[in-house]
Amino acid sequence: MKIRFCLNEKDMEIETRPDRRVVDLMREDMGLTGTKESCGSGECGSCTILVDGETRLSCIMLAAQLDGRSITTIEGISGVEGLHPLQEAFIEHGAIQCGFCTPGMVLTSLDLMGLKPCPTREEIREAISGNLCRCTGYQKIVDAVEAFASKRKVPQQ
Amino acid sequence: MRPVFLANNINELWDMLRQHPEAAIYAGGTDLLVRMRRGIIDPSALICLERMDCLRGVREDGDRIFIGACTSHTALLADPIVRRHFPVLARAVSRLGSPHIRNMGTIGGNIVTASPAGDTLPPLYVLGTTVEIMSMEKTRRLPIKDFIKGPGRTDLGPGEILAGVWIKKDQPFNILSFEKIGQRKALAISIASLAALLRVSEEGIIEEARLAWGSVGPTVAISEEAESSLAGKRLEPGALSEAARIAMDAVSPIDDVRASKAYRRLVSGNLILRLGAGLDENALRPAWPPIAG
Amino acid sequence: MKCPARDLDEHEQAKDGGPTGMKNTSLEIGKSVPRFDAIAKVTGKEKYAADFWAQDVLWAGVKRAAVPHARIRGIKTDDAIRIPGVLSVLTSKDVKGTNRQGVVRKDQPVLADDKVRHCGDPVVLVVAEDRETLAKALACIKVDLEPLPGLFDPENAMAQGAPLVHEENPEGNLLLKGSLETGKVEAAFESCYETVEAEFRLPHQEHAYLETEVGWAVFRDDFLQITASTQSPFRDRYETAEAIGFDMHKVRIIAPYCGGAFGGKDGITVQSLLGLAAWSNPGRPVKMWWSREESILASVKRHPAHLCYKLGAKKDGTFHALSVRIYFDTGPYDNLGGAVMALGLEHSGGPYRIPNTSLKAWAVFTNNPIGGPFRGFGVPQVTAAMEQMVDMMAKRLGISPLDIRVKNALRRGDRNPAGTTLTGSTGIGECLGKIPASRLWQESETWKKDAPPFKKRGVGLASAMQGMGYGPLIPDTANAKLELTGDGRFRVFCGVVDMGQGNASTYLQIAGEILNQETSGMELVLPDTARTLPSGSSSASRTTFTFGNALVKASKTMKERLLEKASDILMAKGPDEMALVPGSVRHMPSGKEMPLSALAGMLSEAERTSVARYRTPSAKESPTGDPNLTLHGIPHIIFSYAAHAAFLEVDTLSGEIEIKRYLAFTDCGRILNPQIFEQQMQGGIAQGLGYALFEELKVKQGMIRTPDFGTYIIPTSMDLPDMESTAVELHEENGPFGLKGAGEIAMNGPFPAVANALADACGIRIFSGPMTPERVLGALKKKPPCQEER
Repeated sequence: MKIRFCLNEKDMEIETRPDRRVVDLMREDMGLTGTKESCGSGECGSCTILVDGETRLSCIMLAAQLDGRSITTIEGISGVEGLHPLQEAFIEHGAIQCGFCTPGMVLTSLDLMGLKPCPTREEIREAISGNLCRCTGYQKIVDAVEAFASKRKVPQQ
Repeated sequence: MRPVFLANNINELWDMLRQHPEAAIYAGGTDLLVRMRRGIIDPSALICLERMDCLRGVREDGDRIFIGACTSHTALLADPIVRRHFPVLARAVSRLGSPHIRNMGTIGGNIVTASPAGDTLPPLYVLGTTVEIMSMEKTRRLPIKDFIKGPGRTDLGPGEILAGVWIKKDQPFNILSFEKIGQRKALAISIASLAALLRVSEEGIIEEARLAWGSVGPTVAISEEAESSLAGKRLEPGALSEAARIAMDAVSPIDDVRASKAYRRLVSGNLILRLGAGLDENALRPAWPPIAG
Repeated sequence: MKCPARDLDEHEQAKDGGPTGMKNTSLEIGKSVPRFDAIAKVTGKEKYAADFWAQDVLWAGVKRAAVPHARIRGIKTDDAIRIPGVLSVLTSKDVKGTNRQGVVRKDQPVLADDKVRHCGDPVVLVVAEDRETLAKALACIKVDLEPLPGLFDPENAMAQGAPLVHEENPEGNLLLKGSLETGKVEAAFESCYETVEAEFRLPHQEHAYLETEVGWAVFRDDFLQITASTQSPFRDRYETAEAIGFDMHKVRIIAPYCGGAFGGKDGITVQSLLGLAAWSNPGRPVKMWWSREESILASVKRHPAHLCYKLGAKKDGTFHALSVRIYFDTGPYDNLGGAVMALGLEHSGGPYRIPNTSLKAWAVFTNNPIGGPFRGFGVPQVTAAMEQMVDMMAKRLGISPLDIRVKNALRRGDRNPAGTTLTGSTGIGECLGKIPASRLWQESETWKKDAPPFKKRGVGLASAMQGMGYGPLIPDTANAKLELTGDGRFRVFCGVVDMGQGNASTYLQIAGEILNQETSGMELVLPDTARTLPSGSSSASRTTFTFGNALVKASKTMKERLLEKASDILMAKGPDEMALVPGSVRHMPSGKEMPLSALAGMLSEAERTSVARYRTPSAKESPTGDPNLTLHGIPHIIFSYAAHAAFLEVDTLSGEIEIKRYLAFTDCGRILNPQIFEQQMQGGIAQGLGYALFEELKVKQGMIRTPDFGTYIIPTSMDLPDMESTAVELHEENGPFGLKGAGEIAMNGPFPAVANALADACGIRIFSGPMTPERVLGALKKKPPCQEER
């Protein structure tokens, strides 16, 4: 089946099986291994991608569903000028340990930033509650998102 | 390889269903695709409803609200009509799965999956929800409690889909509660839940009570006896404890890997006690028994 | 589409070089230098073992037992072989080596031969062109199994006449038993004012690393290369080679960053199976990646334990006697179970002076899932028990939980309950001493009184300790290698895996401090048996201590050599006139500089390389006459310490516990990187809180009833509090810059701190972990909170 979609701001047309899992399509066919797989059944958030700006779990999504959509993976958020400031906040605040949850955490936090520009710590915890992390205890991830949001807030005021 | 069809409108959907009567239908995929992975089902074709705009959204229609079956949980939570008229439903949805699951999963999916642990079901029961079922030939409506037949079983016939739900707005309840006990605070499957609506007079008399429990029976558990035991009583520990005692007998939970039958029964009662917490907490607390009966 | 050849190169070479895009910063000890791996990880570019894929990759998978104990009568593979796209179907008959793996005792088959001993045992290995074909082939393999009676409880398994897990084991189902005695415990109990007795039961805990077991291998030109998510590449090389019948020197193991490991990848997972699969299909890369369900089914777990404690004290609260019996369920294989038992035994009395002790432990074979290494390595179990005993004794004597701990806390020079003299830094007293000054602690009484309706609040303490290194098990050594590259940068050849804890970054910080370089001047080579030097496993709180010490030596040697050489070249009076500065060597009197790249050009390869070995000291005294215990690591001599406090709220209607606050004071010596230290503390506490509240592998008759992430519950971001962790920075003279290990200690405190806080809140104790709402409500029902004493 032919599928057209926009992947990290590039228009694509690919031939694939309609029932191919999106996580496999990204990791294998597209070579974008930043999208991770950990549970395969929607219970951990490692495979999070953005579809039209909103989070989706690519392990429970099929290739056919991509048609006409705009997809962002972790590889698509840092531009030519360097890292996205949210990524910088993750680094600066020590939010990364083994790093396997990190792409999903970053994309999920980006989605939150669109919905709530100045979230509380509780709202950040709520927003990332579908992304399991086994290394950090989440605290430094919350720190990073909070710091990013408050830094960004300043110029707007 | 199995074909996946994306229906864009109702006529396309009827065509697909006619050509592939064996196809499994999904909207968000949060349940169906997981069951496929586990090998519980192996459909020869899939029809995805995520593009069916006509089945999505919340609209007012006279004294009722229609919620399209393909409305995502996230959309429900953000919807001003839902938040204003059905806060008990919004609360339940806010505890469902995780933000990702809420982005993908739909209210229709939660209903037709008919899991005893479906988080939207207890609030839909207490709100007296009517479901709308469509097929190429006709549209029919029936109360949600008649639609859900058992765990994973509904009244949906071949060629039929769930189009949405109708809920009466301006229901005269002034105390509402949804509480879910899970194994953790997010990404949790309910061990027991209670949706409750009370109409309490200015004098503190309960005029009407509606109660529905999740995960403590093959379908949502209701107890007219518990509801009527509250009616006419003052909202106070004694009345709630009595209703809790009745509720514990009314539910029919099972043991599973998440919790025992006995625990579920106990909590089904205890959750009723919480209904007093917002009222006059300090006066009530010392007298409060931890467990009724 | 991706080209396979390019992929292979990319994966082999991905690790060299500095952290592209990272802000340049000086590398000083004591500074929160951002981790070198952070950029690649946050951009999704880091290539984990899971991330290898090539167009021609083959997929390997195994058919597992699915029953806990059975004799294999026959295996029918014909249908599988006939499926187009199936390339190999292998059984134990195809294994040319010993077909046995294990670190201490080699008792775990690569592919089951005579019997299956737990439900996850692998029986048939299949290699196929793609995953769908692989799944189809695995589904149609029939293993004819004759069921055998199963052993599911270690104490029953030790009974006379019990069926045997390993018929050839001369000690029946006993893997190892151990006993440590000090003083005269029987008589001592008689002279105690109070004694407290209790029994505790703890379940299997799953590591639940997000990257499940995975790797890929290729067999080419008589050479086997395996890339795996592993904590122990050098040991893997030896074990895999022996098990599948290869010359060890023809096996290369590459160990990228792990997507989490926590002990669960300290040993063979996919390696031997991949070796077999690749060897059967020369020239083509083969990948194996366990699904989450397969990981839970087949991986090792924290050992379940049944612990029987009796503690005696004088009227003033001085501990006088302790008797301990512990039964560890090691499942069907050793898998370091003997060493786990020994470490638990050694730590079973906690960080206290107790003059009379009788400590006994057994590690027993059963047909339950495999017990194995997991952060803490036997110590979380004994700490969960001992620290509750301490609180129960305090309550009995009417002494505060803090006072009784302070009174009995070990000091340098004391003998610990295992009988070892503590000659190193011993900071448990300092950790406990920090608690009264903390704001949370001071406000705790008011905070408890402000509990909302239906809630009870409580505060609980726990002390913890964790021995560092292997002990006398095997020489605990590391070999560091450092190279000055042609372009004047320093390349650290990292011998110990970074499973996510950041030790690789700390190594660069250590070398950078000594060589006075910035991040841009450093490079890293991750563990690879063909390139880095053997330095042991990433485990036992040893990675930064042992390899760090070796690297300190190598860096100092390098510095000395470079200063001498530069001094000669610049005709200075001597190396004391020279100093290393970022990118250069400076002649101090003249200010003249020579770029390191220029200096490198004047040196031979041998001169540009520095290699050093370090061996962690072990105790000179031997508290046990049992050579078997010494063989399994007793005694340790360097310990880290901690004092934890949990602040929680219990819902009396549902039994749910919510941790509101958490405090930790830790003595793990000097802190090299505060941010990485905090990461270890917060992460360890998080896993410990999971152990305390949620995590329980439910196993019935050897079968796992919590097979996935929907049923095996680990904490989400909503389930954990913000934690405050503070280092009590005592200097450990043996440590690199005064450091002690920090990887495990935080795991030990949460369970007992939560249990003690629960007792403080409601007067109840749950003697079987974890403290689920159901167990809490059950205990509350027996003892309604209104009747409890506070």
